[in-house]
Amino acid sequence: MFRGNAVNRISRLLTLLALALSGLAWAAPDAQEILKNSDQARGGGLPGIVWEIRLVSRDGERTDEPQRLLVKAVGESSVAETLEPARSKGGKLLQVERNMWLTRSGLSKPIPISPRQRMSGQASNGDIAATNYAGDYQAQLGGNEAIDGEDCYQLDLTAKHKRATYDRVRYWVSVKRGVAVKAEFYSLSGKLLKSARFEYNNLIEYEGKRVPFVSKMSIRDALIDAETTMTYDTAKVTKVAASEFDLGQMQ
Amino acid sequence: MKLTVLFLCLLVGTASAQESGWRASWDATLYGYASHTDLRHDSVLNPDNRIARMAESSAVGELRMNLKAENDVFRLTARPIVLTRETHNGFGSERNGDAYLSQWQLRVRAAEAWNVAIGRDVLNWGPAQFRSPSSPFYFDNGRRDPMRELVGMDSLKLSWTPDMKTSASLVRVFRSGHDASDPDVWRDSWLMKFDQRGNEVAYGLVLAKAPDRGMFYGAHAQATLGDALMFYGEVGSSVLANTLSSPSDVAQPFTVQTTSPRRTTALVGTSYTFENGQSLAAEYLHDGHGYSRAQEDAYFQRAQVMPGMALGLAPRLLGRDYLHLVWQSNLMDEAGHFRLMYTRNLSDGGSELAAYGERVLSNRFTAFAMAAVPLGNARQEFSTLFENSVTLGLKIALP
Repeated sequence: MFRGNAVNRISRLLTLLALALSGLAWAAPDAQEILKNSDQARGGGLPGIVWEIRLVSRDGERTDEPQRLLVKAVGESSVAETLEPARSKGGKLLQVERNMWLTRSGLSKPIPISPRQRMSGQASNGDIAATNYAGDYQAQLGGNEAIDGEDCYQLDLTAKHKRATYDRVRYWVSVKRGVAVKAEFYSLSGKLLKSARFEYNNLIEYEGKRVPFVSKMSIRDALIDAETTMTYDTAKVTKVAASEFDLGQMQ
Repeated sequence: MKLTVLFLCLLVGTASAQESGWRASWDATLYGYASHTDLRHDSVLNPDNRIARMAESSAVGELRMNLKAENDVFRLTARPIVLTRETHNGFGSERNGDAYLSQWQLRVRAAEAWNVAIGRDVLNWGPAQFRSPSSPFYFDNGRRDPMRELVGMDSLKLSWTPDMKTSASLVRVFRSGHDASDPDVWRDSWLMKFDQRGNEVAYGLVLAKAPDRGMFYGAHAQATLGDALMFYGEVGSSVLANTLSSPSDVAQPFTVQTTSPRRTTALVGTSYTFENGQSLAAEYLHDGHGYSRAQEDAYFQRAQVMPGMALGLAPRLLGRDYLHLVWQSNLMDEAGHFRLMYTRNLSDGGSELAAYGERVLSNRFTAFAMAAVPLGNARQEFSTLFENSVTLGLKIALP
């Protein structure tokens, strides 16, 4: 009898231990933390970043001429200067929080732009600027899913405030690399607007480490047959002077 | 000022010798355009085109360049303009040309949040399209005529930008830049400006002081409400130089005042962006310096006798109250854009319809067209001088 009780106790202890261990193994990772870590590889959470983007857009059979932009970003502020095509050279798009202005050489003064206008084109300003999804969206873990054979956390992102570019985003972050590999962008009504894929063949120096950085973003329109590819060159973590975001000093 | 420029040039020279990382770039746009204007034959202000001698047709070739050299401390920019123009009217033909610096600036990053800049700077701001009441220098802000090139003010500017949301500047204006009027009302004046850009609101405060004139007080603000709706406004309280007083009593003559009484000018506006990116803006302007209906009527009565004086010294706007509507395509559209404008002088009931459109033909060539049609008679502001005007042109991006 004593022997039988001892076996039962040991068995119960082992069961409890197994349950505790399985619980640890299944403890959900912090979705917001995953999102925050993935932002860095797309320019978020850095003291300042300067990069060049090449945009190539296709709308049906028509391929638009390539665009080249120089983007300087700090937190939620960014200024994107057009380098190509030649006819738009020197034009700047400035965003400070929800306020946005357009300037062009020869234009008498900066023109305020509404948030709806920034959504125009395949690549909205929210796609061009540094990504601060952890600040703009509330993340929930939807589970794990393989993208091209790579195990990913699938996050459901909901906009925290109006200045977020999209209302809702489904976001896949690589478990191993910690970088976002796929995104789907939805309207408030739940309609899929665009989907995107990311590549990380760039490296940036930050706090003495070389960390992976986005090199290509391909955006496909979900409503029409259109696609934009953004190639990121010469990304550099650097302090950007506040005066770069001052309308009065944009000459 | 010449000494300051020389000093700063030496500074740049020294910096370029010591500092690496200089980046230089240039671009230019070559314009070619032709205009035709049907002048008003019964004009009160310009009878038989004898006073203004306006061009009935013109052809213009114009090169507008942008030059830039910069490193982490210095930035040198310049916008030279070279143009040649041929004009025709009932008196004959005339050919002339001009070459000048529309803008230039040498900016030095003096400290973490401090910049010093000298040059010819367009000191223009605010969200309004029709007129800019918050600007002491550019009340006519150039937004209604996309072809117009505003010339900067020769100035020295000290700017403080502690963060991305706040900036303040103190400016010494030496003179009004290229082709300044004589006497230059802004010679040796001062400007102070403060700007704040918040989450959904941005605003700016302006103080300007010219010698022998009262202080200019101005403010502008804009609020972004939702994705599509913006509200904005500008206000200015000013004392103007050389105004033409037109009493309502026609028996009294014009009088020229070297300084006007202090008056307030205010504009309120709203714009809505549609799903397709096109937007509609509506603006209302009250200009305290303009004439009332009776004063404007009296102005045209007196102008029959003294058209030169009436035209030469006319106020910046004849009326006191205006409505301005703008319907335009998405400014972010790379293929081209259009802009339709309707303006009504609520004091005299006259209106003007204007349109501008441009179409990208290739990565370097863009065609553009502009037209204006005043609706009214010879004694209403917009239709005093011409019956219609059309401009057609081509611009070529270089290099």
